[in-house]
Amino acid sequence: MSLLAIDNVSKTYGRTRALKGASLTVARGEVHALMGENGAGKSTLIKILAGVVAPDTMEMTVDGRPVALRGAQDAFDLGFRFIHQELNVVAHLSVAENMAMGKPCPRRFGVAVDWPALNAQAHAALDRLGVGHIDPRTKIGRLSAGDQMLVSIAGALSATGEGARLFVMDEPTASLTGDECDKLFAVIETLKSEGASVLYVSHRMNEVMAICDTVTVYRDGRHVATKPVSETGKDQIIRFMTGRDVADAFPPRTTPVGERVVCRVDDVSTEVLCGIDFALREGEILGIGGLANAGQSELLQMLLGLGTRRSGRVEIASAPGLADPSDPWTHGVAYVPRERRREGLMLARPITDNVVLPHLTALSRAGTIAHRRRERALTAEMGGVVRLKSDGLAQPVYQLSGGNQQKVVFARAVGAAPRLLLLDEPTRGVDVGAKFDIYTLIRELSGQGCSVVLTSSELTELIGLCDRILILLDGRQSEIVATDGLTSADLLGRFYDEAHGGHAAA
Amino acid sequence: MAVITLFRRYGTLIGFFAIIGFFAWQLPDTFVTPRNLINVSQQISMLAVVAFTMTIVMVMGDFDLSVGSMASLAGVVAAVLFAQGFPVWAGVAAALAVGLVGGLANGFLVSIIGILPFVATLGTLTILSGVAFVVSDGRTIFGRDIPSAFSGFARSGISLEPVGLAGLSLPWLTVIALIVLFIVWFVLEQTIYGRRLYAIGGNREAAKLAGVKVKRLRMSAFALTGLGAAIAGLMYASRVASANPTQGSGLMLDAIAAVFVGMTMSEEGEPRVLATLVGVLILGILDNGLTQMAVDSYVREILVGGIVVAAVAFSSLSKQTR
Repeated sequence: MSLLAIDNVSKTYGRTRALKGASLTVARGEVHALMGENGAGKSTLIKILAGVVAPDTMEMTVDGRPVALRGAQDAFDLGFRFIHQELNVVAHLSVAENMAMGKPCPRRFGVAVDWPALNAQAHAALDRLGVGHIDPRTKIGRLSAGDQMLVSIAGALSATGEGARLFVMDEPTASLTGDECDKLFAVIETLKSEGASVLYVSHRMNEVMAICDTVTVYRDGRHVATKPVSETGKDQIIRFMTGRDVADAFPPRTTPVGERVVCRVDDVSTEVLCGIDFALREGEILGIGGLANAGQSELLQMLLGLGTRRSGRVEIASAPGLADPSDPWTHGVAYVPRERRREGLMLARPITDNVVLPHLTALSRAGTIAHRRRERALTAEMGGVVRLKSDGLAQPVYQLSGGNQQKVVFARAVGAAPRLLLLDEPTRGVDVGAKFDIYTLIRELSGQGCSVVLTSSELTELIGLCDRILILLDGRQSEIVATDGLTSADLLGRFYDEAHGGHAAA
Repeated sequence: MAVITLFRRYGTLIGFFAIIGFFAWQLPDTFVTPRNLINVSQQISMLAVVAFTMTIVMVMGDFDLSVGSMASLAGVVAAVLFAQGFPVWAGVAAALAVGLVGGLANGFLVSIIGILPFVATLGTLTILSGVAFVVSDGRTIFGRDIPSAFSGFARSGISLEPVGLAGLSLPWLTVIALIVLFIVWFVLEQTIYGRRLYAIGGNREAAKLAGVKVKRLRMSAFALTGLGAAIAGLMYASRVASANPTQGSGLMLDAIAAVFVGMTMSEEGEPRVLATLVGVLILGILDNGLTQMAVDSYVREILVGGIVVAAVAFSSLSKQTR
């Protein structure tokens, strides 16, 4: 008999339908993987199970009996326990204090904390996870990210008390090394042998293959398939996740890539990156692909001259040695950061000031005095190029919509006719219409001979826009693939190659 | 509705004219006279110079608590050199150099080391104040030690005879304040240097990623603020023909208050040096008028503090309801 059965679960946020009548069945004593692309509805489902988000519709049975879930306490009473992806620790409190947070704490005389008992409790829980060497009295901020995660996991497991029946783990291995993963997997085995079930959410295919019994795949808020792991494979799961291949929405390349090399990166390594090596030709669009946080943003910032290189050379249009962050802009490099509000815009300042910021010297009189008329002229011209909609160039940027804010950042980047354009998630948080404008603009610039390096977490975007895609596995360049005839499933499969937890330690 | 918008936009300016109107009504014979207004301009000139240059760092969202002790130290350094027989130009140059170096030190701590401006300049406030005591041996330097060429400067000015104000002159201290005002206005509003400082204030991370050399600019801005404090210290020493290690200490809070009052005049709450001028004038005129009305100096402090808080509170309330 199944432990948990959910059917017809739907949830709408504003206009976004996160879940559309999805279902999930978890058997007793099994490790059940839940997979899907970003936006498939996994996180929403977990929040519903935790009682944090109320679904629009849901039929739910536990042990075959219909139950209602009205809040976090109900979820706890039903025996659901959660291990979240993000670390939620208070850095300056001890390991034991962090583990005891939100639980009754052993006391003396009813008021004072019984520290020996608290620490012993924590030690027992850590020992169970095979990390008894962590001193419960250490400040948790001093531990490595992996150890902090293990402490959080141990805390969640020791919170069980009686009646813990379903452990929901959301990407628990994201910050663990191979060794630490193995310890977690051993604990999962133990939980399973004790009759508990685990709902395991992960992007890491190899883990799912190794420790899960059953896999359920969601796509666009719908249940696509549930199969025993032994009867399916990586390729089939990826096909379930991506569905079809879409490349039609992208304007096609109309001009050939030039011959001249604009940017040459020669075996560069940094704190995060390793073995980055490519040559970019005039007008070429190079995508940077990989799983989340594989080093995409760092690669762009390296090209912008930020951070320190451990080895290797970067040449941009025959100007070697880009040490200073201001130099790339004056050498024809332009950059659109990932988080436009935090890294791109001065929200309270007018559109003009935002657009001309990197070009102040070029527009000035004698390199010193600001030339407002030229600044306004450039802003008006670039606003036209990016199809910016505003109530005038003096309007403060915070009043614009997200898509138009992104266009302001683009107007800045194209302001000095760049030869190399670096785009970090250029369509992040942008509505469909603005998205297409941005695709068209990228094509136009490429047609005029501007080379582009862009990152995107959307596979179709990488395939539809780019000529070639450089694939990063945990910061290491694994290969560069041409996009001709490449399918989403094919590309996603390459992101998973060798991308096992243990690799992060390298 | 239009009245409310008008008041919201120009509330501080309306308040400024209301204060002038009040004193003109209460002191019909002595307040709005050329002599008194010139007197006010001289009284506020030191505060004005500190507040104008304080605006430079506040544009970036930073501030400098050490300007008061910097002004004291600059005055003391010049006076000690005068007492040892150095010429006026040498004492003045040394004092200005001290201001520049002290400002660079603040900038180094804030921008290169990365200490919060509050903590870094609180530290240098104490250090500079201690140095001023050590340099002066804790004494007031006055009398024959101060050359008459130096102290005479503050007592002379440009004769206003040609514009029909016989017997009056525009004090040199006022002229210096006006020159500093023009320079700071030009630098902040007309140069790309100033535009970049405003960009840093708008979003430091974005400015850095757009190629602005944030560290270098922050450091240079603090140096300018230190230099302004030193100029004010020299002006003060010249005016009172003496120097002691605490005479500048009142400047810092008033300067920051003046910039804050000025910030209420901008829609987005940004410091502008012409708005800072209004803030300085409000503080200076209150001081002058209340003194003439023989209001006790402690009551004066209560009123001035209350007006600063009220102006900022009003401006922040009107922004919330927008």
